[in-house]
Amino acid sequence: MIATKTLTVVVSQTSSKNPARRHLEEELVAALLGDETLDVAVVPHLYNLDSGHSGTRFLQSIGGHLVVLCWMYPRAAHWLLDRADIKGHQADTLLVEEEDEDVEIPEARGVGGVELPDRSIYCLDLGLDSDPQLYLEEIARIGDELRAGIESVPVLDDSVGTVDLMDWIAGSPEPEQLERYLDPLSVLSGESGIEPSKRRWYPVIDYERCTNCMECIDFCLFGVYGVDGQDRILVEEQDNCKKGCPACSRVCPENAIVFPLHKEPAVAGALGDVGALKIDLSRLFGSATGLNAAVSERDVELVRDGRDAVGVSVGMPMRQADSDVTQRDELDDLFDGLDAMDL
Amino acid sequence: MTDNLVFMMGEYEALVPGDRFYAWNHLWLQEDGDALKVGLTSYAVRLLQDVFFLDWTIDPNTDVSARQEIGEIESSKAVSSLYAPEDGHVLNFNDAPLDDPSAVNTSGYDQGWLYRFRTEAELLSPGDYLDVLNDGWEDTQRMIKGQLN
Repeated sequence: MIATKTLTVVVSQTSSKNPARRHLEEELVAALLGDETLDVAVVPHLYNLDSGHSGTRFLQSIGGHLVVLCWMYPRAAHWLLDRADIKGHQADTLLVEEEDEDVEIPEARGVGGVELPDRSIYCLDLGLDSDPQLYLEEIARIGDELRAGIESVPVLDDSVGTVDLMDWIAGSPEPEQLERYLDPLSVLSGESGIEPSKRRWYPVIDYERCTNCMECIDFCLFGVYGVDGQDRILVEEQDNCKKGCPACSRVCPENAIVFPLHKEPAVAGALGDVGALKIDLSRLFGSATGLNAAVSERDVELVRDGRDAVGVSVGMPMRQADSDVTQRDELDDLFDGLDAMDL
Repeated sequence: MTDNLVFMMGEYEALVPGDRFYAWNHLWLQEDGDALKVGLTSYAVRLLQDVFFLDWTIDPNTDVSARQEIGEIESSKAVSSLYAPEDGHVLNFNDAPLDDPSAVNTSGYDQGWLYRFRTEAELLSPGDYLDVLNDGWEDTQRMIKGQLN
């Protein structure tokens, strides 16, 4: 075990060049390093880490409670970690998107995660606010919460050793290589020598919501989905997935398929209609909506692969497709000009 | 050179320069060597307001089809995917707005261009584009208002 403290805080870096994002990461790490009760680590963006990356191995080696600060919705981060065999109980954080009272979040009725070790994972979305203090206060609160229930501090399980052994066999990262992640300043400055990770694109399944209905496997014609030994749906060939295409997410009746980096909140793992916070101008710039969007997104990818477009002839959801909700209000004087509105 | 045109968005004057072509999805295209520089029109930028995030989901030198999603843009008030205007080829992206997306606001018709593009498709003249704006304005207002309510 490399990490030794009660709680490990991991910052998952942004994959964008946005200086404001990098600045927040640096401020957070600088402040967190002053807290002796924490282990602090920085890893590249979780979504871009493949199973063989030393960052993934590092995260797998952390046995205790975990706070993950990352540029995506908590739900996306949690199931991304779960998929990478970094499992734990999805713990509640007080740092959540403000919910619109009118929006009902549908009840999760999925099959759930499997073989969860007795430890908590808190995922915090760095996109919520640019003020580091908010995150620091929440991490302090989480620390107090965990210390209050100190008897439940998890005992490191054997799987950690197993992973290490397999690493040795595969000639994969040695402990020294993983320790680099606990020198967060060098990771942030790009001087740690960790291997680069390239941008990736694939769906992440939220098993709290997934009911194993198999509509995604029917709809996707690129062989991304498969089933495991227990006939549970899984993302089997993630690199078959078409960059930018979120079509399967749109056909999922439970909103259980997440593309963490998609710009539409509902696809990226938001629960409820937080998209209403910002105006979506995609229709203006050329998008279709709903099931039509899924069909045309799929056709684009089929044609690009040299295959024939199939339109609505293959893999249509069994349920009635939700009819597009177009809110057509009466035009009134309010909208004489954009200047009159606080857009 | 054709005269510059103006489209009135309420009180706001959206400029449609006469020295370039346009696409239906609010992009301008201007000849640049053996390709076309592409950028967002003043109309689009006005609706977006202050742009602070721009990203591309395709690599340079990629064939694209019309309406294919190729990137995304986010501003203080709005978010949108970006779509290829026509079938064609995206050659390279302009680093300036990637480094500082506010270039789209400050110099949208010049330094804030987005990418270089080749296409065989027929493009819109400034006058054609003005017709597109006139025809779509009511609908656009409704769409925005619908989302605000």
